[in-house]
Amino acid sequence: MTKYPRLFAFALLIILLLAWEWAVSAFRFSPLVLPAPSVIGAALLRGLQTGYLWPHIAQTLLELGLGLALGVALGFAGGVLLGESPTLRRVLMPYVVTSQVIPKLALVPLFIVWFGFGTVPTVVITALICFFPLLENTLTGIAQVDAARLELFRMLGATRWQTLWRLKVPAGLPAILAGLRVAVVLALVGAVVGEFIGASKGLGALIIAAQGSMDTPLMFAVLLLITVIGLLLYEATLWLERRLLQPYSSNL
Amino acid sequence: MAAPFLDMQQVSYTFPGWPPVVQGVDWDIAPGEFHCLVGRSGCGKTTLLKLAAGLLQPDAGTVSLQGQAVRAPGPGTGFVFQQPTLLDWLTVLDNVLLPVTLQRTPTDADRARAEQLLAQMGLSAYLRHHPRQLSGGQQSRVAIARALLLDPPILLMDEPFAALDAITREELQDELQAMCRARGTSVFFVTHDIAEAVYLADRVAVMDAGRIRHDIRVELPRPRGRDLRYGADFNAICAELRHAMDGEGVA
Repeated sequence: MTKYPRLFAFALLIILLLAWEWAVSAFRFSPLVLPAPSVIGAALLRGLQTGYLWPHIAQTLLELGLGLALGVALGFAGGVLLGESPTLRRVLMPYVVTSQVIPKLALVPLFIVWFGFGTVPTVVITALICFFPLLENTLTGIAQVDAARLELFRMLGATRWQTLWRLKVPAGLPAILAGLRVAVVLALVGAVVGEFIGASKGLGALIIAAQGSMDTPLMFAVLLLITVIGLLLYEATLWLERRLLQPYSSNL
Repeated sequence: MAAPFLDMQQVSYTFPGWPPVVQGVDWDIAPGEFHCLVGRSGCGKTTLLKLAAGLLQPDAGTVSLQGQAVRAPGPGTGFVFQQPTLLDWLTVLDNVLLPVTLQRTPTDADRARAEQLLAQMGLSAYLRHHPRQLSGGQQSRVAIARALLLDPPILLMDEPFAALDAITREELQDELQAMCRARGTSVFFVTHDIAEAVYLADRVAVMDAGRIRHDIRVELPRPRGRDLRYGADFNAICAELRHAMDGEGVA
């Protein structure tokens, strides 16, 4: 077990799927309630082969990408700004916290009124969701620089700008990237749930459409797609983190 | 005797809400001299060093370097901290070049100079390594090379070898001594290790409760080598210094 954890994890998956397949036929579950894995797999394959799913995948990835880029950029910029200015932090922090306490998904109907139906409200909600982890972690990261290194930069006559970009941001990079990892996962939730309410295209919208037509196998297939996208994104972030943080660790 | 080079007169410093950390300190260092500052933890050694560096401004008194009042820290003074304070994300070579890259784009001459300093420290094989891949002693060497890059006339060092093992510390003391003598660099070196102070210094200041209580000259021949550490003269001065540190309050 301890020697090949991945192998056992995979074996467990197979066992669960087999048990599921068996239970569906043994207890005669209606496919409306719980379709068998084989039925879901067939639905997924059919959707991919006929090209039915691709535009929806592309739409969700587009919204995810735009929202993530926007939210991460704003969160990073905001974190740097608030980290550098204690006054600004005292003035704006209550507003930032308040904006995070509001259940953001409850804002989607409002965004539909403001931005119309479709891509924009979903991008906005995604950006809003991944803004906060980046802001928070950037703020903490650049504040964590130890006093001796700051004194070193003072000794060397560094400007404030140099101290920020050549000391505080690189020193805070591990924290900032940890924030990015959280943001990536949240962004997917934001995009899919945004589509539930405010879109006719995209994987979230497709789940709602499948619900309307009682196509439970399709719902499961889409769920599977969303999970795969989430896992790939998370792994990509981990890879980026390992690459960028290589010099920060002692074992190369 | 040469004119004082780093000159501190009646220097006092108080952190708001605390008793004075440094009180009425007079001290001067001539060019090329190696001075050590010893004292117990919390006696104000590090604060005095930061005052000399311009990292702190005295409440009273003056600090001047080559006749100019020190009003702000600057790259003209080399400073070595308790920890090596290297930047993990830069290579060893880039860490040493930092004092230059913060001012301008480094030239080939700067790079050659950094490589030469690292070679003198025995680190030629590690130019492209990152600090985390080095041992504690190697990191300290990189920090010293960085402080010497701009050839500052004075080097201020705050217990730079305190975290190292005894043998590495002795090696570094010899290397530091050689590098500074070759360049004629003045050094003000804070330590709590009596043997280290006697081995390195021309003059030792003993500090207690914010004041300099004793001023001990170390008249041992230079260059000093390992054998010196076991000689009677050396031990006599160590004993004298120890006695001075114990006798505080009485003196």
